[in-house]
Amino acid sequence: MTTPGPDRAGDDPEERDAGLARERTSLSWTRTAIAFAALGGTVLKVNLATGLIILAIAPVIWQLGRVSRGAIPGAEGRPPAMTEVSATRLFLITVSIVGVALLCLVIAILGRSAPGALR
Amino acid sequence: MSWSSRLAALLPSTVDRDAGGTEPDPRFTFANERTFLAWSRTALALVVAGLGIVQLLPPFPGVPAGRHLLGVPLIALGAVLAVAAYTEWVRNQRALRRGEPMPASVMPWILAATITGIAIIAAVVLLLSALR
Repeated sequence: MTTPGPDRAGDDPEERDAGLARERTSLSWTRTAIAFAALGGTVLKVNLATGLIILAIAPVIWQLGRVSRGAIPGAEGRPPAMTEVSATRLFLITVSIVGVALLCLVIAILGRSAPGALR
Repeated sequence: MSWSSRLAALLPSTVDRDAGGTEPDPRFTFANERTFLAWSRTALALVVAGLGIVQLLPPFPGVPAGRHLLGVPLIALGAVLAVAAYTEWVRNQRALRRGEPMPASVMPWILAATITGIAIIAAVVLLLSALR
């Protein structure tokens, strides 16, 4: 267990730089968007419409990661707290993944299988 | 605390308001967000693995339901993991705002237990399939 605080960020100079942390987070969003695209590509093999829907989510995820936190106006014209902005974006991602999982569950149970489609 | 109030506490509009405390160091918020995203990718990987097993693998001889036995739990776990990742993010963010110790996570345990279970089912299905 560690107690968070500005002086507990670690000895690594990278850990003390919020700019690099932002960049690492941005790259993490990109990887998540790529993961969505990969899932969409796989589903495309078995169900065209669902695959296209999931593929369409990928650029939305990528765009969510690019949203500039400071540029979003909050109440009384001030930028909203970072937690509030993050919560909305992460909630959207969670809803997307649960929706995609439910779609895949329906395809897995009801869809016609295509054994060897990846050969 | 009732289930409805627990669910309401997870809504994005309430996370910031209910947490109290002060806005944490951005580095910790970013790190918390990256952890959430990493769990989300794990959830997506489980979904794609489950779908691949059910739809793309050839059927196991003698075990007609084998692919569904392996794939459907993986897809369901993907959905559960995504929700759990968000819940963990909210808990961690609240702890960060209040300057409290980070809460213990049950997600690695859930993942390890499920993967072990799936591996055992896979071994049984393969054995049954080989014996027929």
